[in-house]
Amino acid sequence: MGDFKFPYFFDYPPYFTLQPVQDTREKQMQLWKELILRYCQHHKCFIINLEQEFPLFQNLSIQRKLSFEAREMFLAALVAEGKAEWLDKAHKKCLVLWRSIQEWSEMILQLVRDNAMEDGVLTLDEIQSGDESRGTELAGIDRFVLVRALKLLEQRGKAAMFKGKAGDDEGVKFSAS
Amino acid sequence: MKRRPGISGLHSAAAARDQYRSVGENVARIRTDLLKEQLATFRTQLEEFARKHKHDIKKNPAFRAQFHEMCSKVGVDPLASNKGFWAELLGIGDFYYEIGVQIVEICLATRSHNGGLIDLNELCSMLSKKRRTSRETITSDDCLKAIDKLKCDGLSFNDFADSSTIRPMTAYLQVLGSGFEVFTVGKKKLVRSVPTELNKDHNQILELAEVRGFVLVEDVERALSWHPGRVIDALETLMKEGLVMIDDGHPDRKRRYWFPCVSLSSSNAEEL
Repeated sequence: MGDFKFPYFFDYPPYFTLQPVQDTREKQMQLWKELILRYCQHHKCFIINLEQEFPLFQNLSIQRKLSFEAREMFLAALVAEGKAEWLDKAHKKCLVLWRSIQEWSEMILQLVRDNAMEDGVLTLDEIQSGDESRGTELAGIDRFVLVRALKLLEQRGKAAMFKGKAGDDEGVKFSAS
Repeated sequence: MKRRPGISGLHSAAAARDQYRSVGENVARIRTDLLKEQLATFRTQLEEFARKHKHDIKKNPAFRAQFHEMCSKVGVDPLASNKGFWAELLGIGDFYYEIGVQIVEICLATRSHNGGLIDLNELCSMLSKKRRTSRETITSDDCLKAIDKLKCDGLSFNDFADSSTIRPMTAYLQVLGSGFEVFTVGKKKLVRSVPTELNKDHNQILELAEVRGFVLVEDVERALSWHPGRVIDALETLMKEGLVMIDDGHPDRKRRYWFPCVSLSSSNAEEL
């Protein structure tokens, strides 16, 4: 995972101010939406909390930062596109889906196949940070997203989640063959 | 064909029809072959004609239009087929044409950022980056020549009235190339690729903006002795045209009006 490469507009001050002219604003939103997705993917970041500082929304070298309004607007645009979801009614926490839940569920299936676990069992912890997922994009996946993806697989009859014994982690039994 | 009454009459009518049909097919086939041969000959003669009258075709729009019509009748597109020969004949596909096409691409790609106005030097450097693989250096003079050619070719392509024989790229150049304008503001040459014309007020502000890439209303008021209303009016028009972006983020809380076309930012050709 190399250094993140910031696009040209990130160093240009006006892009940190919401533009009033419609066409210019649309271009601005497009650029920021793409940047947010790319940044989150690179840093494996799943949640953006509007009430906290998020490194992407400011550029210290040009002394500019996005206003709350701007940040909310860009995230709302991602939500409208299906690339993000609000986790709370107040729209303060945003789940960024730089991969869709569907895509995550496919990746889990792939992991299962690659490790010949078509009828096997894994704990959620193992999927998140075990040997099997090391080096794959699944490593470090957010627990909430993982559960959603597994639920999708459950609907397709490819998996069944179960709670472990007291103290044990949740697990999932695959029937992916 | 004489009609014979009764069933036998029907039979021979059917047989005759069949015979006619097969003869008809043969004739059609022979005719097609003959036609193909004629077309091939015609094409060669057309090329010969073009070679002989190259000068007239290039210089005389009426002559050129008629020549083009001849070509289209035989299904020859002088701008697309047999690239080497026709390209050489009509002077397209050469160095400046190529640069012209790339200039148009760059202007289109940067339009949403700079509103259709770009600094000539910046254009030139983006062009060089784009042509990294070919060893030649592109000077701003080359850019100017290419833009000039775009404008000329833009006009001459109008003579090729039949749009069905103009390649999409050429029609595209025709529309855009004739809209290109190079003008000087202060110390810079700017290339305009949109129809918006800047009035004197706009030009003056643009010139002020060259210093730092942006202006504040008070700067313009002071430098040009204008009423703030006149300044805001001009700036808002420029904003609507996509030539100016606002910036309210400076610690001093004063609004800055940035001009991407004269900005000192380094745009990456590949990114756009």
